[in-house]
Amino acid sequence: MSGFKPLTVPADVIYTYDGSFDGFLCCVFESVYTGELPFSIRREEDSPMTLYDVRSIVTDSAKAERVRASIPLKISERALELVITVFCSCLAEKELRILEFLLRAYREGGKLCFKLGDAAVAPLLSAEKHLLREAHHLKGFIRFADVGGALVAAITPKNYVLPFISQHFVLRYSNEQFMIFDKTNKSALVYQNGRAEILQIDHVAFPEISESEARYQALWKQFYNTVSIESRENPRCRMTHMPKRYWENMLEVSGLVHPAAERILPGGQIVSVL
Amino acid sequence: MDLMEKLTILTNSAKYDASCTSSGVNRPGKTVAAGCCHSFSADGRCISLLKVLMTNYCIYDCKYCVNRSSNECRRTAFTPEELAELTMEFYRRNYIEGLFLSSGVIRSPDYTMEQMIQVLHLLRHRHDFRGYIHAKTIPGSSPELVRRLGLLADRISVNVELPSEQSLNRLAPNKKREAIFSPMKQICAETEQNRQELVIYKKAPRFAPAGQSTQMIIGASPETDYQIITLAEAMYGKYALKRVFYSAYIPAVEDSLLPALDAKPPLLREHRLYQADWLMRQYGFKSEEILSHDTPNFNPYLDPKCNWAINNMQEFPVDVNTAELETLLRVPGIGPTSARRIVIARRNGRLGLAELKRIGVVLKRAQYFIQTSDRTPSARPDKEMTVRALIDQNVYSFGMEQLSLFQDAPGPMPLPTSRDVKSITEAVEETVLCLASSL
Ligand code: SF4
Repeated sequence: MSGFKPLTVPADVIYTYDGSFDGFLCCVFESVYTGELPFSIRREEDSPMTLYDVRSIVTDSAKAERVRASIPLKISERALELVITVFCSCLAEKELRILEFLLRAYREGGKLCFKLGDAAVAPLLSAEKHLLREAHHLKGFIRFADVGGALVAAITPKNYVLPFISQHFVLRYSNEQFMIFDKTNKSALVYQNGRAEILQIDHVAFPEISESEARYQALWKQFYNTVSIESRENPRCRMTHMPKRYWENMLEVSGLVHPAAERILPGGQIVSVL
Repeated sequence: MDLMEKLTILTNSAKYDASCTSSGVNRPGKTVAAGCCHSFSADGRCISLLKVLMTNYCIYDCKYCVNRSSNECRRTAFTPEELAELTMEFYRRNYIEGLFLSSGVIRSPDYTMEQMIQVLHLLRHRHDFRGYIHAKTIPGSSPELVRRLGLLADRISVNVELPSEQSLNRLAPNKKREAIFSPMKQICAETEQNRQELVIYKKAPRFAPAGQSTQMIIGASPETDYQIITLAEAMYGKYALKRVFYSAYIPAVEDSLLPALDAKPPLLREHRLYQADWLMRQYGFKSEEILSHDTPNFNPYLDPKCNWAINNMQEFPVDVNTAELETLLRVPGIGPTSARRIVIARRNGRLGLAELKRIGVVLKRAQYFIQTSDRTPSARPDKEMTVRALIDQNVYSFGMEQLSLFQDAPGPMPLPTSRDVKSITEAVEETVLCLASSL
């Protein structure tokens, strides 16, 4: 992107884009090119307020590639990594925050990433931390069920974490077939025949669990309940380490979120008793 | 007996082992993430391993143990096949990171070890299990078996059980000091030898790549905190231990030599020991800096680092813009992460309070001990205010608890009880006054 002088002035305009990372990079292109700092950047489906002009930014992979290449070149590899991670995070107004960061970083260079106390950098770093922590949590908290030899699991994360946990599970289950369905972001990580890919899927119907699966689930619950020491009970501590939002997908505690909502019959099916 | 019942009994008899041993190491082709917790039990402890006993039959009679031979209880044993399969199926479902296997002594120490080795062997060779295994050696078993166990497990441990030989003789008469320290020495030597073999021959089988650890029971015997942390320090140095675990004694059996059945486990004391242990391993503290002959027990109200700071006010204030990493680490409210971040961030500009806050420094505590680009603290900080900021509020959530059951040394005053005060705020006020005046 040589030739650009990234100085921008605030403008009463809202950019909308298709929600893809390439689309977002085109918004960056637009801002640098026009020299304006938009009031906000939204995905097309999140209809923006009407007080401002709305400009729909078309995704152009050539433009996107120019912006992407400029980041390691003019700033640093670390900046690109940070930008990608924050883009997958659930930070409010993440597009605008990243744009503001990039505009400054083009001028100040890679060292901006290390101004950990800077007001433009700190929110990005904490969004990155939030995502990485959630990914780390899920590496432990995901529960698979064996369905006809394949392993399946469902998650409801706040951030778009699948790309960040994929490698971990591929290594762990290199000889298995598995799928992790992300209900929040409507996507699924599918691994079979040694290949992993992330697909966009609205809904996955999980088949009924088998008798042997139900037995292992029951054994696990029993272990979970037995291993706790009564005289040391400390629900607050449990909650800090294992926030409640994960519980719905963890069979050993899901019953505590919706007490008695479901029960496993000896035959193995889950029935609702509500 | 069916598997469900066995699992219940053998989990129950293993659970008083305190260690949350999730720390791993990357074996080639093994995917153990360091510190991966898979769940947390109702007592707030990390579950990362299937922690069970091979059997709760035991020919020994350690006084503090639920499985001792003279205690009447239901007994059972896993078959090696059963346990290997259970571990594998739990691992596949991502319930656990691996297995933590210990055992009562059935028939003889060697027989017991052979059973355990059988489980590990099935896991590694029949099930191609690549998860983490922590196995406890049985005191008194032969060195050859210790070696075989170490070649299959990621970590092996030998429990010191109690913090002194006298206590061991009194409470675990079948276990000799020698039977504990000689395998510890052997493991340390095998690990060293293995390291050299690996240099020569990359594919040499690895011996306990995650090292060895140990555990001791706190509060069943009269040792002071100072004795305990000095012992831990010595073992870290001498046997290259990765971790020492402290486990608050939970009365499980009646015995005249032990605290009464209704005594509460010394959880606060255990907590302080872990804090001190952490200071020794991560912050470069020596045991004599934390406690001494004159103050052999922990201050219940202040964590050991704050306690050190309050007693060494001459070392402060520390200038965050110039101080060395080790010096920063000694400031209450600055942990290893924020200390490292300070060192990075200050290369790109001087740091004031606002920057420190964004970096993650706990200013409420740190402010009395630091100098920043925009603030120099008064030469003599107000004692009362400092103490108030440093008091460990956790103290009150541990409830009423004596720090040491055998405390005869003049220690800090006992915690205010619910009868003395109406609220935590009031308890804090009382404590502040009492501490500030005694400084
Ligand atoms: S040898 Fe182990 S299981 Fe047996 S009584 Fe002693 S501590 Fe308990």
